Amino acid sequence: MAITLQELTKRYGRTRAVDGLDLEVRPGRVTGFLGPNGAGKSTTMRMVLGLDRPTSGRALVNGRPYAEYRWPLREVGAVLEAKAAHPGRTGRNHLLAMARSNAIPARRVDEVLETAGLGDAARKRFGTYSLGMGQRLGLAGALLGDPPVLILDEPVNGLDPDGVRWIRRLLRDLAAEGRTVFVSSHLLTEMQLTASHLVVIGKGRLLADAPMDELLDGHGSLEDAYYELTESAA
Amino acid sequence: MRAAIGSEWTKLWTTRTIWWALLAAFVLMAAAAGQNALYVTNGDIDASSAGDVAVLSVAIAQLAFVALAMLVMTGEYSAGTIRATLSWIPSRGRLLSAKIVVVAGVTLVAGVVAGLLGGVIAAGILDDSSDIAVSAVKIGIYLVLLGALATGLGAALRGPVVTLVVLLMAIVVIPPLLQIPDISVLNGIADAFPGVAGNHFLAGDSDPYPPAGGLLILMGWTLLAVLAGWRTMKRRDA
Repeated sequence: MAITLQELTKRYGRTRAVDGLDLEVRPGRVTGFLGPNGAGKSTTMRMVLGLDRPTSGRALVNGRPYAEYRWPLREVGAVLEAKAAHPGRTGRNHLLAMARSNAIPARRVDEVLETAGLGDAARKRFGTYSLGMGQRLGLAGALLGDPPVLILDEPVNGLDPDGVRWIRRLLRDLAAEGRTVFVSSHLLTEMQLTASHLVVIGKGRLLADAPMDELLDGHGSLEDAYYELTESAA
Repeated sequence: MRAAIGSEWTKLWTTRTIWWALLAAFVLMAAAAGQNALYVTNGDIDASSAGDVAVLSVAIAQLAFVALAMLVMTGEYSAGTIRATLSWIPSRGRLLSAKIVVVAGVTLVAGVVAGLLGGVIAAGILDDSSDIAVSAVKIGIYLVLLGALATGLGAALRGPVVTLVVLLMAIVVIPPLLQIPDISVLNGIADAFPGVAGNHFLAGDSDPYPPAGGLLILMGWTLLAVLAGWRTMKRRDA
């Protein structure tokens, strides 16, 4: 069950950003979330996290709305945008405040800083971080509560090749541990290497929800498969 | 709730905003108290005790407290951290309450200290040291309510600039403009403003209403601002 969307819809005025999405994102595999700009990926993720209110329908995490969890960071780890910390606060203090909000012990902060490979940068102010360092801090935060579900919006944005490789391995390891990993990206070749299952949306509607092999079947690459899907929808 | 307060407490003390705000509060209080005490010795303004001078000086020093309180909320929107914060603490009511508790705690302590500072400086100039402690406690209470009002309004309006403008209009700009012509209707309207009501409470006036009346009016405004902030947070997307 992990992440369940039921007829999830978000309208802004007359435009439907997300249009009746029905979806199950299952544990134990990396599920890629693809779609053109403005397809509704980020809006969907924000609704799962209780940040945006659906116009109709529901988004559930392990059977319950995110906002109903007493300690949500222990259920779901999320990276929504790379610039999610106050520029004047150090990375470590950001994570300490985050840990306190969900009664997570402070020693866990140093563990995830280690995992994310932030090192000395943890004691520098967030405003001085590069995009890639911001992503690493975001991932450290997502891992803080050791959550069974991870939701990541464009996590490889701004990472250097080492960082891209690191995150690819991390996501696959997390899925292999039985966690649900739901990750959006524009980088199709990267997705082809990381995900084993794909969800494709266009104009807020579900275009595909299938294993990677099945989507690739009869196509030279994920890119070809993707264009065929999104163009037929347009 | 304790976890949310702890998190907000950590956040408050881990950026420089708090230090600038406290420095500004104490400097403004000291300068205003010194100046007002000199006016009193010259007979330019009518105040009888060191505590009264401290109360007069709050008119200036309160701006630093108001700025700090509204930044605790609006800073989340201007820095773009509100989504992260709400993903840690999804309950809007709990987050707003935690912020108000943290602001109130800091404002109470810093407000009383500023009140004492103003009183002590005035006492040094006036040769009078009465009412200092009582005034300092009242100043602390006044600033706590004003701080909660600013936090709630920040949640309702989100932008730091618009929030500060509305607060300045309501507290510093509009009431004196209403009072200048000295027409009873306009004076009556001015007396209903939060800053003026707070001043009647601080000064211990019996006219146009008793000090407790001023306190109640201010509490009413604070409650209204907090409810407006809570409603906005609940209804609007983050």
